[in-house]
Amino acid sequence: MAGAGIEDPGQQVDLSVDIAGVRFPNPVMPASGTYEVDEIHDNFFSPSELGAVINKTIFLHPRPGNPPPRIWETPCGMLNAIGIPCDGAEAFIRDRLPILRRLGPPVVVSIAGETMDEWIELSELIESTGMADLLELNLSCPNLSEGIPWSTEEKTLERVVSTVVGRVKLPVVAKLSPVVTDIADMARTAEASGAAALSMINTYKGMAIDIKKKRPALGNITGGLSGPAIRPLAVWAVYSAYETVKIPIIGMGGVDGPTAAIEFLLAGASAVAVGMYNFIDPFAMKRTIEGIRTYLAEEGYSSVREIIGLGHG
Amino acid sequence: MAAPVYRKAILVSRKESPKGYMHLVIREEQIAQTAGPGQFVMVRGWHTGDPILPRPFDIVLADPLKGIFRLCIKVEGKGTRFLSTLKKGSGLYVTGPLGKSITEFDSAGTALLVRGAGAAAVVFLAETLAKLKKPVYTVLSASTKSRLVCRSLLEQFSTDVFIATDDGTEGYSGNGTDLLDKLIEEGKVDTVYTCGAHRFARHVKALDLAGKVRGYLFLEGNMGCGMGDCHGCAVKKEGKDGYALVCMDGPVFRSRDVVVE
Repeated sequence: MAGAGIEDPGQQVDLSVDIAGVRFPNPVMPASGTYEVDEIHDNFFSPSELGAVINKTIFLHPRPGNPPPRIWETPCGMLNAIGIPCDGAEAFIRDRLPILRRLGPPVVVSIAGETMDEWIELSELIESTGMADLLELNLSCPNLSEGIPWSTEEKTLERVVSTVVGRVKLPVVAKLSPVVTDIADMARTAEASGAAALSMINTYKGMAIDIKKKRPALGNITGGLSGPAIRPLAVWAVYSAYETVKIPIIGMGGVDGPTAAIEFLLAGASAVAVGMYNFIDPFAMKRTIEGIRTYLAEEGYSSVREIIGLGHG
Repeated sequence: MAAPVYRKAILVSRKESPKGYMHLVIREEQIAQTAGPGQFVMVRGWHTGDPILPRPFDIVLADPLKGIFRLCIKVEGKGTRFLSTLKKGSGLYVTGPLGKSITEFDSAGTALLVRGAGAAAVVFLAETLAKLKKPVYTVLSASTKSRLVCRSLLEQFSTDVFIATDDGTEGYSGNGTDLLDKLIEEGKVDTVYTCGAHRFARHVKALDLAGKVRGYLFLEGNMGCGMGDCHGCAVKKEGKDGYALVCMDGPVFRSRDVVVE
């Protein structure tokens, strides 16, 4: 706390990071699909304080999402099989994107295609709005029949990323699935295909059985596991990719506050995304930003950039 | 809608009534001052990873002057067991009030058809109607007399309470819907709210579709956040593609607007 004439050293710390040429004022953002920008959330803290904002993944056409039950609590985490309901690109561009744009922080637009033509059309459509700073390709939703293969087969990953990169000037962020033999290989493939940054990781495919109903707990049978349960797996994914690629990594998977976020930064992430914990603590992202600042001040760093990848020695 | 808050609140008291149901009185002034009938809170009494998610509970009553509100939770899983053992004075994290408050009270007579933990959802509405001097008839159902929930509160606020038990240990021996049908036949009610049983929801929806009453359902769903982030608590819209969210579009729905299992 700053008293009369005493400066809070934390305020001197530079929290800004660079993701593919886009300056994030701090390294904390929501994971796609876990945080809505609306009046309710404005009551907690302003999304303009975030390092970046991102939408729930949109497809070209409206989708209803999966039948309930859609979520199921697990030890230190949760399974979800939401199925990415969306109103389609037209409604998103008309109703939501301008709201994100006006907030101030960089806007990451998360998209997914059901076919290669859709990836192309949607990428070009988003770029044409001039309201996006980064384009995140959700290549890895585990709850869609058409989702996982995009980033689990090297050739498919290469085809989608290189095609989109060839069509738009926006820096492209590839969001990778961890359900692969070696995610560092996929990171290298995404980089070689022209991705300007990586988001890693998406959820792990899993399931639970409701023992009262004696049936799969989720309407979709399987879902994506997120939360602190997967954090060590996610930190390893980031750590191993950092040794392999030069492009910046947005790390995610069980970030519940500053300690976890700093772990990701040390592992090599240039920014972190908070996902499931936004459900538990509406202040989780704000708490994470402040905690990183305090840590850096206490450890004697003047910029968060000094600790990115520091865990590699 | 009143602005929700996320606060560390204090457990003022707890009392088990009937067995298996815990009444928690919580001090959090802003929630107590802004909550309306139909709204809920997300509650977390733990810093653990298991359970990890907050739990949704209907606000049973709120006292804006004392800055307290009451919940009635059915103790059945990890989270509710944990909450039921919290000592007086314990801290717990609460987000709320959430969901849409009921704001239309223009009915000539309202019936509340409830069973089990569902009874807790309508107490606030009964109190509001009583304050407005509107007639409110409650049909309170349970498997047996000892499992009637929120009975004294509903008796306090209702014009009349009709009990139905499956085993006939008290009141009418049989289905609560029979008692509701009688109230409608007598011309006492034109609006029905129900909570706590799928068969009640189906019955009220049929009455609504037949034009006999305006029917409303208090719904629940697997809910991670309570404020539209997780999209977990989906309920299928009637006659349309897509889903509504219990947390944002409800938890109270016109029965003809949603698909009832």
